[in-house]
Amino acid sequence: MSGPAGGGPVHAALAGDPVLAEHYAAFRAKAESALDARLVALIREAIAAVHGMEAAAIDDTALDDRTRVCVTYARRIPFEHTAITDPEVAALVAHLGEPRFVAFSVVAALADAECRAALVDLPGLAAA
Amino acid sequence: MSTTPRVSSAIPGEPAHFGSVLAHQPDIAESFFALYGRFWGSDVLPARIKEVARMRNARVTECGFCRNVRFDKAVAQGLGEEVVDDIADGYETSAKLTDTEKAVLKFTDALIHDPELLTGDARAALQRHLTPAQIAELGLGVTLFLALAKALITLGLEPQEMGRTVLPTPAVLEAAE
Repeated sequence: MSGPAGGGPVHAALAGDPVLAEHYAAFRAKAESALDARLVALIREAIAAVHGMEAAAIDDTALDDRTRVCVTYARRIPFEHTAITDPEVAALVAHLGEPRFVAFSVVAALADAECRAALVDLPGLAAA
Repeated sequence: MSTTPRVSSAIPGEPAHFGSVLAHQPDIAESFFALYGRFWGSDVLPARIKEVARMRNARVTECGFCRNVRFDKAVAQGLGEEVVDDIADGYETSAKLTDTEKAVLKFTDALIHDPELLTGDARAALQRHLTPAQIAELGLGVTLFLALAKALITLGLEPQEMGRTVLPTPAVLEAAE
């Protein structure tokens, strides 16, 4: 099983409400467009892997230092969000700057929630 | 968990809070508030049910801000503190929560904590009490509650101290329509 792709499980579940679905897609797209597309993909892959949804693990040795810091941080979101420390955040803010860190926080939190929505089969429940 | 903001306010003169920090990304902020207003403005799923799920998420994710805020639409629909107090572990035996609300809480726990909680009877109960359209709206809500809570916590926007605060329910801004 792979992590949520395309519009994701929440967007799929909202197929019966096109207006709400469009608003959701717009929010997701705005958050993702604030970051480099490759970083967004890595965030999603890293979080999906923590949830056991990604077939292939990310090869951290192939990443540059800045990207590795981002991926390491993203892996903390699913189950360790309250344990993230000020120095961890400061390191990420130093790499990304505040505006992109805000976007990163939204994208990572949304990626985690979407994995969880997929794991409870939200689209299937909403289509029954 | 930090109660010191880890990101500055993007609005001069305002302290760091969710809105002023999200203002670093105006397009994200605008689209989020449009979505959140549309979600709360929809009556497909009653506000009281949405608030029950939001309260459960607040407790499980340890979001102090979320835990202390009440939205007035849900309060008007009868969600008093005596009911909110029962949105805790053991809610299954509550005499104040309805069977629908208990099914919603099980779904919420499954999404934010353990998907295995939504197998067999729990899944059937959810589908018995809610229509597919209501489940879709509930799923959107829990997704947003969870993501918002984790963003608040990691951005260091948790309050040091906060009393219970009733706020106007998020609404669609006319200018955004």
